[in-house]
Amino acid sequence: MRRLANLVLLLVAVALCYGLQMSKPHYADLIGPIPVRGKVGDVVVGRSFEVRVEKVQFARKLRADRYGETKVLTTGGVWALVTVEFAARDASTVVSTASWRGPTRLTYDHTERLSFINNGFLPVTVDPGLQKKARLVFEVRPEEVGNATVLISSKLLAALDSQAEISIGPVAASSDGMPAGTVDTLDLTQPVDGLPK
Amino acid sequence: MLESARSRLKAWAAAGIGTAAAIAVAGVLGAFEARHAQVPVLAPANPIETGQWLLQPVKAYVSSEKYIYGTLRKPGAKALVFELDMTNRTATSTKDYFELLQANQPTIDPATKPYIVLTRDGTLSPELHPGMTERMAYIWDLPDGAAVPASLDLNVMSKIYKQRDNLYGLPGWFNPSAIGTLDVPVGPAPDNAEGQP
Repeated sequence: MRRLANLVLLLVAVALCYGLQMSKPHYADLIGPIPVRGKVGDVVVGRSFEVRVEKVQFARKLRADRYGETKVLTTGGVWALVTVEFAARDASTVVSTASWRGPTRLTYDHTERLSFINNGFLPVTVDPGLQKKARLVFEVRPEEVGNATVLISSKLLAALDSQAEISIGPVAASSDGMPAGTVDTLDLTQPVDGLPK
Repeated sequence: MLESARSRLKAWAAAGIGTAAAIAVAGVLGAFEARHAQVPVLAPANPIETGQWLLQPVKAYVSSEKYIYGTLRKPGAKALVFELDMTNRTATSTKDYFELLQANQPTIDPATKPYIVLTRDGTLSPELHPGMTERMAYIWDLPDGAAVPASLDLNVMSKIYKQRDNLYGLPGWFNPSAIGTLDVPVGPAPDNAEGQP
């Protein structure tokens, strides 16, 4: 009898532990970024920076200056260009990572093919009280464009730090599968804030 | 005295039987087969699936151009170039392709790290995005005076996905192992030499 009771107790303990393992959040969830949600046009206020998405544009090609030479960057998908305005909250900070999360949760990191441009692109140094515009550039598949979310955080592993999650909303697709309003070439040689370089 | 010898004998027997049973179970589960398993020979014409990547070999050639996709050679030096189409099968952008192909060539020191370049614009080891096929070039510098090899012998590596690693409890790709060998014939260098940065 006693042996049976012990066995039952053991089985109950196993079931309890299994239930806890299945239902409780894991370490990665516990220390993950803390989302701050918003939509295009909203000022999204995180712990160290504020961000407002001004507009989202799509292009088949980008034109950029590299060492005084103009380069045209092609893509197998479509370029998504997000113009944002940053401000720091109470101390100067750096915003260094952004990703594009599509409707099927495929995550496209900010492109590394424009790393030769050092002004108006990530990483952006922002200071309190001084708005600063920047462009976020993603290379995405055309079907990952609608109902996407732009994720912006100060650093790559934003553990226990806020991450701005800005939903783009639906984007109509044109007949060739590209998002509506896709232009052929977007010119990145123009400064983002309209000021001379 | 006799009692203690008997109990000691019992303990030894129990330990021996336990060990033998454990080894037998491991053998039944296939723990000893993996060491001796021959990796298959992969056909260069077919797509190759690894854990994270879908690979389609395109061509291999030896080039003596000064610039190959933006990478610089010394005058007179040659490089072995392997071009392939790579598709990221995972849900996030990644550049986890540095250990993907390992050269077995006698002319290439296995310690020689290749340049891995996006052929589209010569970006050095960019992140590749989910579901977007890109033509990449692995470029190994050949030692001075090395003979041009007739074929490029590669080990194709794959990793396994773990939802939680043992150290941080975070998801990731671990434990690289060879899934096959690939023998690509080395052809003549293409005429349209490109890659001037």
